[in-house]
Amino acid sequence: MKLTPKITLLAAGMLAATSLSACAGGSAPSGSAAGAQPKLAFIQGVAGDEFYVSMQCGINAAAKSAGASVNTQGPAKFDPTLQKPIVDSVVASHPDAILIAPTDVAAMQAPLKAAAAAGIKVILVDTTVQDPSFASSAIASDNKGGGLEAFKAIKNLNPQGGKVLVISTDPGVSTADARVAGFEEGAKADSSFQYLGVQYSHNDPAEAARLVSAALAKDSDIVGVFAANTFAAEGTATGVRQAGKQDQVKIVGFDAGPAQVKQLKEGVVQALIAQEPSSIGTQGVEQALKAIKGESTQKEIQTGFKQITAENISGDGSQYVYKSSC
Amino acid sequence: MTTTEATSRTAGTVAELSRTRSLRQVLQIQSFQILLVLLVIFLIFAALAPEVFPTWGNVRQIIQNVSILGVLGIGMTFVIVTSGIDLSVGSNLVFSGVVAAKVMQAMGGSGWGTAIVGIFVAVGCGLGWGLLNGVLIAKAKVPPLIVTLGTLGAALGLAQVITGGVDIREVPEVLQDTIGYGNVPGTTLPTISLIAMVFILLFGIVLHRTRFGLYTFAVGSNEESARRVGVKVDRQLISIYVLSGGLAGVAGILSLSQYGTTAIAGQSATNLNVIAAVVIGGTSLFGGVGTIFGTVVGLFIPAVLQNGFVIVGIQPFWQQVAVGAVLVLAVYVDQRRRAAAARGQSTKAGGKKAFFGRRSH
Repeated sequence: MKLTPKITLLAAGMLAATSLSACAGGSAPSGSAAGAQPKLAFIQGVAGDEFYVSMQCGINAAAKSAGASVNTQGPAKFDPTLQKPIVDSVVASHPDAILIAPTDVAAMQAPLKAAAAAGIKVILVDTTVQDPSFASSAIASDNKGGGLEAFKAIKNLNPQGGKVLVISTDPGVSTADARVAGFEEGAKADSSFQYLGVQYSHNDPAEAARLVSAALAKDSDIVGVFAANTFAAEGTATGVRQAGKQDQVKIVGFDAGPAQVKQLKEGVVQALIAQEPSSIGTQGVEQALKAIKGESTQKEIQTGFKQITAENISGDGSQYVYKSSC
Repeated sequence: MTTTEATSRTAGTVAELSRTRSLRQVLQIQSFQILLVLLVIFLIFAALAPEVFPTWGNVRQIIQNVSILGVLGIGMTFVIVTSGIDLSVGSNLVFSGVVAAKVMQAMGGSGWGTAIVGIFVAVGCGLGWGLLNGVLIAKAKVPPLIVTLGTLGAALGLAQVITGGVDIREVPEVLQDTIGYGNVPGTTLPTISLIAMVFILLFGIVLHRTRFGLYTFAVGSNEESARRVGVKVDRQLISIYVLSGGLAGVAGILSLSQYGTTAIAGQSATNLNVIAAVVIGGTSLFGGVGTIFGTVVGLFIPAVLQNGFVIVGIQPFWQQVAVGAVLVLAVYVDQRRRAAAARGQSTKAGGKKAFFGRRSH
């Protein structure tokens, strides 16, 4: 059990580390000078999701016309433990402004507040944090209104009423919680409907399918399911199809990715509540540029949504469909 | 897998003493190789983004973000050295955090009194799951992969049962302010990283300098011969899984402090990330070989890659590709070394020539 070589090795490692941090101390971080091309960073809630891709398209277009550069990054899952290292790395690169969709109201509070304290303008897009007072602007869909709209869509499809269920993503995601609240409000106010509550699919279509199958086994007379986001809608449709109840259960999805639109066209989903991610992105860039220039910003902006059904999908609804690439 | 194990066992019994020594030498080389890889990656990014990447502010946040995984990596190194595996660490972390948060919520208050109770509860929960893992593996002889796959699901499921799937966000402020985002007084070193470093040093000494550590290697090299020379293998295995569980409990409270939420849906890939880091660090999945130092370096490679890619502005998906490649490469080097050791070439050829895997056979 001689350990001299090991100690030597450790010492070498430490030496290397200290020399590195020593030379690191020499070069101070420098923000981009005023007047230069503004540097923006966009941190998605999850990489590769059409909602965020559409938002990215809006951001890129707006940034390009304003002569700003954008570095887009996102975690592989909608998970604060994966998003935080990305946020920290982006903050270290010291952009002029960050547009971010926080993945958790609590976990992202401190890192983003620190970013704002470091002089980076923070724009919250789509989701928010517990205390967004540090942010220059928060831009999101009116999610509660969207939830209520989803209930109205179910009601249009089932005027006689019945049992309704919500498949959401994760508790604590501000937008999803607001959608559920809006839906719940509408369902409880209407005595012909029985609200069965909300189930959480953790952004996993397979989990959503399992939840819906189980719910249908328990209450075989469910007439409507509101799936609060893209993944939930995908899974809900699978679950209903597995139970062979496509004719009985009307599904209203939130979001309008290519997969949902396909399902709508195939009649698996009967209505979609589409947000305007591209518009959120464009307005986010506008607010970010204003904040960088030191102009006053609009603290809270709510964007609208559109009900897409089989009737309007080839007409005026088509422009609301999310993009999978710009 | 079985053939390699069988042959290396023969080699082990023939010359136990000289083998341990030669292995140590090879080990040092492996850790050093991986450290070189890390340095190269670091230097590349430093060259690409000289004003941002190699600054203390940036390095500091990498260290901070690696800290929780570092605590988990210690336990995982012990477990993998015994040729076991612990898939349950992420779920155990979540469970411990949830129970601690629940207790602290019930107690109310945001001072140290509540926080300390929470810390003990989290560690206690972690130890409990570790004990369950250990007993099932050592006494009931259920393979570690299956036992910890079972507790992976069970711990996460129970965490969801306790909370109804709703994250608890009432974490005492002292935890968040001091451990989660605080610095060691008078420095800019994150407290959470200091805690991780203390654990790493402590258990590095335990693994590499104590009888407990020696027995851990013995059990991992050859369980049967360890038993024959009088090592209480069952007790050793149970202690190691208890250690891994307890450290997951520690990580649970650290995670609560850092994120201010139980993040039940998170941590789903934590176990695999930690296992990957341990393996990248030169610890062999077949047991008997490994260092805590290697694990720490192994944790920094994915973290530095991700940080660098984000700063340089490369698509985030590439980080996973790069880490996957490094992982497979590390296991390949391990396999080559094992094959060479089985052919009895381990000692003599182990000079500086063998830096990048031995080619001479």
